Amino acid sequence: MPFFGELFVSDILKKPILDPKGEEIGKVRDIVVIKGEPFPKVSALIVERKKRLFNLPWNNLNIFNKRIISAQIYSDLLQHYDYSETDLLIVRDIFDKQIVDANGVKVVRVNDVKLEGFDSAAILVAVDVGMRGIMRRLGVERGGEDMMRLFKKHLPYNLISWNYIQPLEPKLNKISLTVPRQMVSELHPADLADIISQVSHKEGASFFKGLDVETAAEALSELQPDVQAAIITGMDTDSAADIIEEMPPDEAADVLSDLPVDKAKEILEHIEKDEAEDIQELLSHEEDTAGGLMTNQFIAYRPDIRVKDAIEKFRKDAEEVETVYYLYVTDADEKIMGVISLRDLLLASLDAKLSDIMKTKLKIVSPDTDEIEVAEIVSKYNLVAIPVVDSEGYMLGIVTIDDVVDRILPPEAKRKRRKV
Amino acid sequence: MSLWRRIAIFLSIMGPGIITANIDNDASGITTYSVAGARFGYALLWTLIPTTVALIVIQEMVARMAVVTGKGLSDLIRENYGVRSTFYMMTILFIANFGTTVADFAGWAASMEILGLSKYLMVPLGALFIWFLVVKGSYRFVERILLVACLLYFGYVLSGFMAKPEWSRVMHATFVPQIQWNAEFMMLSIAIIGTTITPWMQFYLQSSIAEKGIKKEEYKATRLDVFIGCGITDIVSFFIIVTCATTLFPLGMRINEASEAALALKPLAGNYAFLIFAVCLANASLLGAIIVPLATSYYICEAMGWERGVNKTFREAPQFMWIYTFMIVIAVIVILIPDAPLVFLMVLSSVLNGMLLPFVLIYALSLVNNKKIMGEYVNPKFYNVISWGTIGAITALTVFFVITIFIPAGL
Repeated sequence: MPFFGELFVSDILKKPILDPKGEEIGKVRDIVVIKGEPFPKVSALIVERKKRLFNLPWNNLNIFNKRIISAQIYSDLLQHYDYSETDLLIVRDIFDKQIVDANGVKVVRVNDVKLEGFDSAAILVAVDVGMRGIMRRLGVERGGEDMMRLFKKHLPYNLISWNYIQPLEPKLNKISLTVPRQMVSELHPADLADIISQVSHKEGASFFKGLDVETAAEALSELQPDVQAAIITGMDTDSAADIIEEMPPDEAADVLSDLPVDKAKEILEHIEKDEAEDIQELLSHEEDTAGGLMTNQFIAYRPDIRVKDAIEKFRKDAEEVETVYYLYVTDADEKIMGVISLRDLLLASLDAKLSDIMKTKLKIVSPDTDEIEVAEIVSKYNLVAIPVVDSEGYMLGIVTIDDVVDRILPPEAKRKRRKV
Repeated sequence: MSLWRRIAIFLSIMGPGIITANIDNDASGITTYSVAGARFGYALLWTLIPTTVALIVIQEMVARMAVVTGKGLSDLIRENYGVRSTFYMMTILFIANFGTTVADFAGWAASMEILGLSKYLMVPLGALFIWFLVVKGSYRFVERILLVACLLYFGYVLSGFMAKPEWSRVMHATFVPQIQWNAEFMMLSIAIIGTTITPWMQFYLQSSIAEKGIKKEEYKATRLDVFIGCGITDIVSFFIIVTCATTLFPLGMRINEASEAALALKPLAGNYAFLIFAVCLANASLLGAIIVPLATSYYICEAMGWERGVNKTFREAPQFMWIYTFMIVIAVIVILIPDAPLVFLMVLSSVLNGMLLPFVLIYALSLVNNKKIMGEYVNPKFYNVISWGTIGAITALTVFFVITIFIPAGL
């Protein structure tokens, strides 16, 4: 297992490679990659020693990271290397190549390549196409960061995941994406999460600062819990609070529940009071129960309101709420009385009272109902959301179908737990 | 192949070579020739011959690379020499070309002023026109406009004849080299080469041929395009020198700018000569103001790998269009600000251009000799001797050129 963590290729170019006794056997000149599943992987380093090139196979490496590269063998055992057209070399063949999108439109050039440890191999996970990559190649990444800080801006990471890159062939003169360009800049938050789950936590946090709050909030909720926690921990409290506030309370609670207690408290204190209370309430439930899944944003009106007024109110209230397909009817004590589907509401005569059109036979779950059971009920009765009601009949929140599906069938970025 | 068919093919291919070479005679070029003629008469005419040879040798190589690879020069530099050299080169070139753009707008402003039109009106109007041309036009359309504009350069030929020079002396001076050992003479002869062979030309020529998508089979026509372009441009230079040498030199009139030359011609060669000089200067300046920012957008986008091309829209190639727009807008602002340091900017730009030229040429020459890139189209051996000789001479001269800028003339 010579390689843990991750690094950019330009970080290690020209770095010395040491033999077991700590003597330098040469400097890194290039890296040979071969096809691999799912990503290409490193098969050897090309080492330059006294103006001659040698091939150092991956298996002969002992340590491989940003600071130290060491081999298990001594310099006299190195194999001589001649440039071959059939090899695929990162510096010679991938660096600076044109990237075109699926429609053949030129997008940008490869500024750097990112490697990551995976099953004792080093795989190519992403290409850096941003200003940061250029600065890193010029050796001024740190300086660029400092300069941007002067302007209170962050130097954004611009990585394209290898997922979106078509298989490489030797002798390539351009690199094609599998998606059109617009998609790279306007990736769905779930795809963004895909990319983020492949960059380091520290970078993930920086990556987040480059996104607007809304996108960041959506992308964050798509990530696996430990990545979420690491990213939030890596941010200052104010920006973290901004993002958490933007998330639906149930998802916010999920994120906070994975944080150290102090940090979570600190963030909650920076969040608007109402929102913070909602989240706190949700935090008190077990994660794999209806209480843990539910959100406490829902629409509920009194039974004596007329449909006309309900629709008017609904227009305003629905903006804030994630799931709007059901309108709940509660009494003055917030005990649940009935439910009206959006469809029924819109089709009802404007003068009718809500109590006239509500359905009183409704499916409910209690906060400690197991998540699988919740899923079964939702599935059986074809519901979009189900109310969570405590033993005294108070309505606590709703569990929506997307949260249920996420639990049963987690998206890839949440499922894949990469321990590095 | 019938003659007509060949001519038809040539007409469809021609453009980039002729345009690039002609626009080489932009505001600063015309200034240099006018000053040279007024100061030294016919004495510098002979330098045009070696300059033309050097120009042809270099432009032909660049054109060949464009046709064989279909890529621009900075594409190739980035892909083969990495980000470091490309980045520094692009940064310096950007500053240098910005200075050239300002010089061209200054030429346009000066020619409008002597024609009695306010620069505060005409500079923004001219800028708007060239902006629309590139942003809204297609490559074909832009090329046609530019080709027509190139025809206007023949005004200088006309003015040369109107000046009624003694042709025997002109011919003698053209074919028999003479050197005067003083600083100003040396400086002007170097300046003639310096303004004729510039870094941006190499980038523009290669990019515009690549954008036109000319195939290897049609290369002969492209070569002819380049030869004709280089020929025309130096014939035009020749007549500018002849005009100023015949009319201004005998009277010992010193001028510093192309617009002064036009004004000085008025009482000597009549109103028509004045008009021709003024209009041609305006035309050349505006052409330069299109092509130099365009070349800059091309090579920056190539180096970064962004979509580019006159054929593209703002939405398809946003960076390309923004760089072009930005350069024009800032240049216009600089021109219209009273007391802006124009002279400093132009000197800076010619120093930077001079410093970069050897590097650009050396890169170009090593690329054109790379079998992996050029295949069977690498330079033949004898051609390499000529090219290296040319580049060596130009390098030596540009080093001198840069030095002379720092030493006041007349020393």
